[in-house]
Amino acid sequence: MKSYYNVHMIWAAMLALTGATYTMGRLDFSGVDVVFLLLLASLVKGSFIIRDFMDLKDVSLLWKVIMYGWLWSICIVIAITYVISS
Amino acid sequence: MTTTEIQLKPLPGDLAIWFFIFMELLVFGLFFMVYAVMRLQNIELFNHYQLTLNRELGAANTVLLITSSYFVVRAVGAIRQNKINQCINWLYAALLGGAGFLILKSVEYVGIFSEGISLTTNTFYMFYLSLTMFHFLHVVLGMIILFAIVINAKRGAYNADDHIGLETGASYWHMVDLVWIILFPLVYLIR
Repeated sequence: MKSYYNVHMIWAAMLALTGATYTMGRLDFSGVDVVFLLLLASLVKGSFIIRDFMDLKDVSLLWKVIMYGWLWSICIVIAITYVISS
Repeated sequence: MTTTEIQLKPLPGDLAIWFFIFMELLVFGLFFMVYAVMRLQNIELFNHYQLTLNRELGAANTVLLITSSYFVVRAVGAIRQNKINQCINWLYAALLGGAGFLILKSVEYVGIFSEGISLTTNTFYMFYLSLTMFHFLHVVLGMIILFAIVINAKRGAYNADDHIGLETGASYWHMVDLVWIILFPLVYLIR
């Protein structure tokens, strides 16, 4: 079966996610739900970059923890500050 | 090897670049967290001035960086098949994406500065300008690295068996993209 998980589809998916996040921002959507959605989009795009663009999917657990840990830590801290401010 | 064992691959490129990337990510990460915490103390100010930013240019720059990163992935894929000319062409395309980013960002800065806005205008603009300019400098450095890789590739320095220099530069360029993936929604969109 042909795999649709390839670098071309990942690129297209990231552009689609960018379009979706821009539209949410342009329409001035706000609130914690929207913040979570925007951060989720960043998490997905960031994971694509780390896993498939940087090609870290088969490297040691240490480097995966460092890279994904950075991404998740930033998004969680940002989310917490927006929850506090809501 | 049993079927449950996974063959681990070494990090792409030179190990030193990964320590450099790690340090860079720590600095940007700290910057992002401080921005988010400072916004807590100035919510109305941040929400108000965020709307003055050009979100269209921000989104266009995101598309340019993601696409440029994709082109670098294609360049690495080409050299792994020993297609050197294809690799060089993909690198030129990636450089074009980076140049497009710098041009759009410069247009944005000209608009901002022509209104008399500077680092000292208020806390929001201080973060906006320092964060995006710091990232701008990383894009410039990334482009210099990519250009050096193009020159090396033209000299025949890379082939299917030996392209560690190309992977090193590619990893740095993807880091620049990764940072923007957080920076764009944080500064331009989330409110």
